[in-house]
Amino acid sequence: MAPKKKEEPKPVEAPKPEPERPKTPVFDAASVKLEFTPEQIEDFKDAFQLFDRTPANEMKITYAQCGDLTRALGQNPTNKEIMYVLGKPKPEEMQTKMLNFDEFLPMHQHFCKGKDSGTYEDFVEGLRVFDKEGNGTVMGAELRHVLSVMGEKLKEDEVEQLMQNQEDANGCINYEAFVKHIMAS
Amino acid sequence: MGCGVSKSNLFQKSDSKAVTSIKAAVLIQHWYRQYVARMELKRRYTWHIFQSLEYSGEQAQIKLYNFLGYLMDNFTPSSNERNLISHFFRENEVCRDSEWERFFDYKNIDVPEIYSGPHLTFPLTLEQGSGLVDAFRNKRQLHSRYVLQLLLDTWRLLRKFPNISRVSTCQSKEITICGDLHGQLEDLLLIFYKNGMPSHERPYVFNGDFVDRGDNSIEVLLILFSFLLLYPNDVHLNRGNHEDHIVNLRYGFTKEVLTKYKMHGKRILKLLQKIFSWLPLATVIDQKVLVLHGGISDTTDLSVLARVDRHKYVSALRPPKKRHPSTANVSVDYEEEVWSSGRRRSSVALPRPLTRGTFQNTSLPDFSDRVRPPVGGAAERRGRLALQGALLGGSQQALGAAAGTGPSQDSGESSDHSEDEWKQILDLLWSDPMTQDGCVPNEVRGGGCYWGPDVTDDFLSRHNMTLIIRSHECKQEGYEFCHNRKVLTLFSASNYYDVASNRGAYVKLGPDLVPYLIQYQASSKTRELTVRQRVGQTEHSALRVLRKQLFSHKSDLISAFQDLDKENTGLVSLKDWAEAVEGVMHLGLPWRMLRSQLISRRASDGAVDYRQWFTELAIQEPNMEHIEKGLLEMLYRHRSTLETIFRIVDTDNSGVINMEDFRQTWKLLSIYLKMEFTEEAISDLAVAIDTNGDGCIDIQEFMEAFRLSDKKSRLERGRSMFMGTAHDLQRPETVDPDL
Repeated sequence: MAPKKKEEPKPVEAPKPEPERPKTPVFDAASVKLEFTPEQIEDFKDAFQLFDRTPANEMKITYAQCGDLTRALGQNPTNKEIMYVLGKPKPEEMQTKMLNFDEFLPMHQHFCKGKDSGTYEDFVEGLRVFDKEGNGTVMGAELRHVLSVMGEKLKEDEVEQLMQNQEDANGCINYEAFVKHIMAS
Repeated sequence: MGCGVSKSNLFQKSDSKAVTSIKAAVLIQHWYRQYVARMELKRRYTWHIFQSLEYSGEQAQIKLYNFLGYLMDNFTPSSNERNLISHFFRENEVCRDSEWERFFDYKNIDVPEIYSGPHLTFPLTLEQGSGLVDAFRNKRQLHSRYVLQLLLDTWRLLRKFPNISRVSTCQSKEITICGDLHGQLEDLLLIFYKNGMPSHERPYVFNGDFVDRGDNSIEVLLILFSFLLLYPNDVHLNRGNHEDHIVNLRYGFTKEVLTKYKMHGKRILKLLQKIFSWLPLATVIDQKVLVLHGGISDTTDLSVLARVDRHKYVSALRPPKKRHPSTANVSVDYEEEVWSSGRRRSSVALPRPLTRGTFQNTSLPDFSDRVRPPVGGAAERRGRLALQGALLGGSQQALGAAAGTGPSQDSGESSDHSEDEWKQILDLLWSDPMTQDGCVPNEVRGGGCYWGPDVTDDFLSRHNMTLIIRSHECKQEGYEFCHNRKVLTLFSASNYYDVASNRGAYVKLGPDLVPYLIQYQASSKTRELTVRQRVGQTEHSALRVLRKQLFSHKSDLISAFQDLDKENTGLVSLKDWAEAVEGVMHLGLPWRMLRSQLISRRASDGAVDYRQWFTELAIQEPNMEHIEKGLLEMLYRHRSTLETIFRIVDTDNSGVINMEDFRQTWKLLSIYLKMEFTEEAISDLAVAIDTNGDGCIDIQEFMEAFRLSDKKSRLERGRSMFMGTAHDLQRPETVDPDL
């Protein structure tokens, strides 16, 4: 017979303190040191204004645009990183909450300190993983699947756009050419 | 403990592979998102370029028209000048019915045996209607005899219609509504292909701007009119701001008609002037949905609009005023209202240069600073003195006092009335929605206003309606909702700015009045292009146009640069370059962002050699060494305005103007543009152009002689021919309905 677990009487003591919830890291804009040159800042302003759709040209963009803008300026943050600097907003806030230029700058700076975006070799290496036959091609279908299921998933129409006109008659993609093509924008 | 078999072993084998796969995927995904963002940026500024140029063109048009209008109202006539000026507004000519009969007399026009186009008999039959569509699809032209007959019947019909058409979706009929077509026959054919042609079961509303800019304005118009004749209760046409002969002079419709109908084009145009004025102003569906071309303002009142004599407004840019009796003496009869901050100016917003902060609520500019009288000059006729006095504008009080006995006084009541009516029509045809509340004059276009969501709400509740459908603005997706989905902008001319710039759309409305939108894009070739190619192509075109614009402002730009280059180094910083360029061009564009496209070389510290820059723009100037530089530049810059004026002056629409009119035109322009041209310079110009020495100038030849072309594009076009992408650059010859 299995020993019965005895219910121990609760000690009549001061209640144990609540275990500390682990602190979720919060982006602290103030702690970011801005290292941009005035020229760069002028450039960012121009781009910012292009995304600004407020009628009175208030130099504000929506949260949802923050990622697009920083990417347009050459950085490559993950969606997760973007959410982090924005303070993990709720999905509905993305279209309604606004960001002004001064709030954007430290966010952008944060991204600039991140890892470099991939080089040609990195991409080719990455794609080689899917080269089952080691012949310099990957199956378009497999690539589509991977891109829409793994990592920071792309939507179907995004994958379509990326792969447009790339597959040959057998549905294969020569990945070195593919990378050259996509990097040549 | 779980069950014995653990998956961990299996997982470990493929673990590293899975990780690498994910890494690879993430890398590609990141890259892709960045690429999309960059494309979006490019697309945005390209769009911005096109739109700025389009609106500044419209602005220029209205500025010019205001100026001419001012002259008409205040100019004391005397000989040559009077003749010239009076030409500008010949719609004020009162034509007796018998004269119109003469214009409509198509019976004398014979249709030759060799004519291979469609033959029409009136009243039209269904077969002929669809036959006409087929004929145009196959690039046939309708004979002028039939055109005139068709227009005559259309005119007769339109006169019976009220200002506001009332339509209902009873018996579960769906109504199809189309936006701007702008002479793009392909799009109209595409709509008919996708949706079916108009019929009793398939009613349509066409929301204005049928003509201008595209190559087939007359064909589009004839198709719409023929369906109107076939189904007068089921086809509804609303007037747009381009259904206006003054606008047509600049934007290509006039030229198209005169080119296609060399013998009878003038007559056709004259008729169309009348027809346009008889087009209804708006359509109301089920008493709940308002369809009109531009929009509304805070004073829009449908009951007023229902009552106006719409045909009095031949051109929406000019109220139907009677001219005052002319006097031989110096006339100090300035209409007080022109100078007061009153009605007239609040109706037609005097255009401001476009800036980034274009939407800001600014006060209307004083007209007087637009025009400066010519400096010096010999003793003028009294008329000119009077004009100068008006233009000096400084002593507004004096003018105000002097205007005490103006003729406008006795027609005070009625002119009040007609001013208000005119404003209503102008707003209806020219306004644009804005995101902030309120209602401000539309200074970007120069006519109508910007209206906010509060104005929409107020209007809809006052009229007990639920939706406004309007057009007038090109939208990327062919349509756009705003004001909390209470306003729908609908644009049906796809690829408007350039191949692949935007889609077109039309809307279907059933008895539930829920809009159902269908998008399309003419030319299957566009769809084969990747996003990058499409964006790239449009960008390429936009930049080409922009470079020409920059080149044609060379002297102003150089002096702006010199102002900033105090030490005369020939270099300016990037910041100064951008500032100077915006200061001269007034287009509100992100110049810094465009620098890599516009400036090829920069010094190591990023400075720009501004003189060198102009050569880099690679613009080919026409070989006109004997023409004064300032004059030449003016020609490039004000090309459209110039052409418009010439066409106005060419009263009989013959395509040719005489030397005297030519000189007078330049004199007028020199006042308007605040530039001095010597008699000699103008003579040189005239002589250079009048190649056959007959004392007449062919407008088309003149404009061609002073066209700027793009060195770069010719090179690039040549190269791309060899690269096998030539088909991307050409417009497709035939409509491809195969979707």
